Amino acid sequence: MPNIDISALLTNMLSAAKEPLLQKWSETSGYAESEFKKIGEAILFIEKQRLIGKMTEEQAKLHLEMQKNASRAILLTIEGLGILAVEAAINAALSVIRDTVNTALKFPLI
Amino acid sequence: MKNKEHRLKFVSFILCIISLLYVLSIIGCANIRLIADYDEQIDTSITSFQRKVEAFLTYLERNAGKDEAKYENNTKFYDEAMVDLSAIRVRAAANPKNEITIKQIDLLYENISNLEKLHKWVFLPNRYSQYAQPLIQLVQLF
Repeated sequence: MPNIDISALLTNMLSAAKEPLLQKWSETSGYAESEFKKIGEAILFIEKQRLIGKMTEEQAKLHLEMQKNASRAILLTIEGLGILAVEAAINAALSVIRDTVNTALKFPLI
Repeated sequence: MKNKEHRLKFVSFILCIISLLYVLSIIGCANIRLIADYDEQIDTSITSFQRKVEAFLTYLERNAGKDEAKYENNTKFYDEAMVDLSAIRVRAAANPKNEITIKQIDLLYENISNLEKLHKWVFLPNRYSQYAQPLIQLVQLF
């Protein structure tokens, strides 16, 4: 049974990412929500695989990195949004859920 | 004497205005580019790359659980994918103001490389596998 509540994480991720994206928030909030949801789903998938013993820590980190890369690339398609702003938004969103996720997974995924 | 000085000041003022207008007109006419021009060759190469990835995932799906889907029988795909992306990156880097596209190609390259590492460890990234989703999202972006 998964412990991580993705919808609660999503709210925190969005509010944390708002500051780095503030100047373009009206254009980016929809994309950010959709991408953070995908990151949340990847974390949930990792948790499920770990619970049934089918994923190592290294594999989990690689999988999350792949999802982060996809989300980075998608946010970069927003006109006027630079590489640094996208990176700052993803880092802010992840840092706010770091403790919850790492504690639930019992290893430092983020 | 005073009149001559006054005329000189007036002429220099007019010259300043003319040179300012000249500079402004050059800036106004200049073609300021914030992003790179459309590159048909990059577009064609990326479309062909998308097909290659889709074909690979379909192949894995058809051969799920068989030796054909094992990593050691599919190294050619990863080799070719890396070469294709490197060539696309070189082309993209030749165009000015193309940093965003280059970054996106780098992220795609990294995801192919990460998928290869995951594939080595038993997991078969077929189309419906959660493992393949980040790659599919990235490939479909272009």
